[in-house]
Amino acid sequence: MTEATDLAERAGDRDPRVGLRAVAALRRLLEQLEAVQVRSARHQGWSWQEIAAELGVSRQAVHKKYGRQ
Amino acid sequence: MFERFTQDARDVVRGAVAHGRRSGSQCVDPEHLLLALLDREASRASFALAALGLTERRESVRQALDAARRRAGLTRAEADALAGLGIDLSAIVSRVEEAHGVGALSGDRADKGRWSGRRSFSRGAKDVLERALRAAVARRDRHVGDEHILLALTTLPGVPAETLADHGVTHASVTRVLYGEGGEARAAG
Repeated sequence: MTEATDLAERAGDRDPRVGLRAVAALRRLLEQLEAVQVRSARHQGWSWQEIAAELGVSRQAVHKKYGRQ
Repeated sequence: MFERFTQDARDVVRGAVAHGRRSGSQCVDPEHLLLALLDREASRASFALAALGLTERRESVRQALDAARRRAGLTRAEADALAGLGIDLSAIVSRVEEAHGVGALSGDRADKGRWSGRRSFSRGAKDVLERALRAAVARRDRHVGDEHILLALTTLPGVPAETLADHGVTHASVTRVLYGEGGEARAAG
């Protein structure tokens, strides 16, 4: 009936659409989780360098993405 | 692009910017366009929404949009897809909110007043406006009205379309009330 029910039924069929949608959803969730954690770290006085090291990215990358906020 | 927008459609765009600002969002998102549509009165979109019984259920729509925003803007279909991977989205949301406050995953800022810069339209919101333009062109309407924005919101996958569909507002039902059965007959006006 609903799209959700359809999806649940198709999950067993290895429908690529379900898997791809899960990956896309995960990516968006990850973006929000990262933003929450970076903001929290900044509030606690962490430097961009320290945040970048934990995330495994360059200082420039994390600063460019969140520095303006 | 906006030169072809009617006054009603422009009011929706302006209203969406205001909703974005009020919620502390850094972008104007498709959800804000829907919130702005819900505020409309005496427009073609508001007529369609009233005909589909949504006027009395506006609060329910607002609550559903708010709930989706709290779960990182993901649709229920996306939450189900994650569940298929063994990821419990609601558990993640409640853990994060415990530590960082309600709405932490919404991407909205708690200190709403501070962000005073100009808000840009998100990719999703631009897609809605482009789709609205195309909907008008497809119907050979010379102007883009707020009803075309509503039609666009029902066709683009995402939280607004899912929420509208949950309330009986789909591309088919909007087309029916605007243009008659099958959507073939052009509505007057």
